Amino acid sequence: MKIVVTVKLVPDTNADKRIDPGTKRLVRTGVETVINPFDEYALEAALQLKDKLGAETTVTVVTMAPESGKEIVRKALAMGADGAVLVSDEGCAGSDVLGTAYALAAAIKKTGFDLVVTGTQSTDAITGELPGALAEFLGVPGLTYLRKVEVDGSTVKAERETDTGYLKVSVPLPALVSVTKSIAEPRYPSLKGIMGAKKKTIAPLGLADLALDRPIGSAGAKAELVALTDPPARSKGKVVEVADGAEGARVILEFLREKKLV
Amino acid sequence: MKDVIVFVEHTGGRPRRVSLEIATKARELASALGGSVHAVALGKGANEIAAQLKAYPIDKIHVSEDADVDAYLIDPQVDYLEAVAKAAGPALILVPNTMVGRDVGSRVAVRLGAGMTADVVDFSIGDGRVGCVSPKLGGLTITTCAFTSDHGVAAVRPNSFKAVQAAGAGEIVQLAKPSGAAYRMKIEDEVVEAAGELGVEEASVVVSGGRGLGGPEPFKTIVKDLADALGGAVGASRAAVDAGWIPHSHQVGQTGKTISPSLYIAVGISGAIQHKVGMRTAGTIVAINKDASVPIGEFADLLVVGDLFQIVPELTKALKESAAAHS
Repeated sequence: MKIVVTVKLVPDTNADKRIDPGTKRLVRTGVETVINPFDEYALEAALQLKDKLGAETTVTVVTMAPESGKEIVRKALAMGADGAVLVSDEGCAGSDVLGTAYALAAAIKKTGFDLVVTGTQSTDAITGELPGALAEFLGVPGLTYLRKVEVDGSTVKAERETDTGYLKVSVPLPALVSVTKSIAEPRYPSLKGIMGAKKKTIAPLGLADLALDRPIGSAGAKAELVALTDPPARSKGKVVEVADGAEGARVILEFLREKKLV
Repeated sequence: MKDVIVFVEHTGGRPRRVSLEIATKARELASALGGSVHAVALGKGANEIAAQLKAYPIDKIHVSEDADVDAYLIDPQVDYLEAVAKAAGPALILVPNTMVGRDVGSRVAVRLGAGMTADVVDFSIGDGRVGCVSPKLGGLTITTCAFTSDHGVAAVRPNSFKAVQAAGAGEIVQLAKPSGAAYRMKIEDEVVEAAGELGVEEASVVVSGGRGLGGPEPFKTIVKDLADALGGAVGASRAAVDAGWIPHSHQVGQTGKTISPSLYIAVGISGAIQHKVGMRTAGTIVAINKDASVPIGEFADLLVVGDLFQIVPELTKALKESAAAHS
């Protein structure tokens, strides 16, 4: 079985980032680029399927990133992915969700797949719209927000999170699934994995290789950025040390009444 | 784009509040654009939902009780919403920024070749163009996006607008079943683990617990009791979820949910960046912590320093007494 995992490169999640007041853009200095944490869950889910299904199953990572992202993608190979495809082209810059999904779908079709595994969202744009859009472009069912996923022959059996529990859902392959953090903790690359990753292939693809029939990037974007503004400032509020529970409750209740929240 | 189409999510025989919030805002947007407001309600009980929607400023309510909507995931809803959008012509399509809403919205956007944006907390209108305002990078910056396509899809974050009743024309239109539909994502069973519980994304009050709770038990007792007393939902920090004290669906933060409740109470949560990005756009933030120097003190509106195991139950008691005195 051919499994494809989509991966996005994002500014480090744990770094305390700031916006340049002049350019309104993220200050990248001192902020590492990492694999989107949600995509690490996707990769883990794919690797676990490979562990179960055996050596004939391959896991290929597909990402859209500048050439400089190559070494970050290698971490996915060190974790156990068999190879990677890097869609890298100046024409990708400024892509919206629609354009990104369109180009990734073309790259995934070119790679070949039975199952596509994605994260639920990225930590920078946080639209959560890529999995659905990608499924639609691929023309396959998109089974999202999964906390458990199994492949039984040519059927995916899964549990989809809901606010009150979960749905048991099944779908025939080929399909796209997106997985949540509940799926499993991502593995750390082993030393053997890190050494082995150096020999694995990261295949570059340009937009010309994908034979797209419409532009992507900022030229093709259907949702364009028209303004960047600063969020309302959130400043330090009141700090009250209390002697006991009753005093704490009284302080909070008075505050909530003052704010008309109760 | 003139018309505004609202995709209505409903549960337990009632529209979800976020859909009513969106319907209310849709009226304002449609009036500014010179178009009408459509609502789309699908699945079991859709006619009853439509009857309730008549209390909101909607011109046309499109319904279908097609059994496929509840038997299969997402796809039937995409087909119906696509049909309404195509019939309406260039329109702004509003879905709730929820698991179902984002899925339905993104798929419909692809079918319409439309731009899409998510996590929308406000709109602006200038020169007949709609600007969708969303916080990005965990609230570090606020972006405004506009569509260059005929249709545009915006996923609207719950609690961004107030739902206000004001009856519109409320014409009910029964939708025809899309032709050639063959669905594959079969729902075999629904398992309810926490009946009637409000999701953290939608609740207007969220009480979250963190490492300071020390174990799973307080989530089911003191935190849950306080959330119940406030009519809110139970949230959690990554530390609590990673420790296995509470399911991931409750997690607020970078690898969990990003929310804007009107009131957020953080109990025993330090408020590191990972958590902060998920809740810093809340209306009011109250923190309860034994340590006065926790990071959350830098941006909470009120930090009460003391023993959470004493304060939280007392607060619940006081809220209940106050509610009883006013009823």
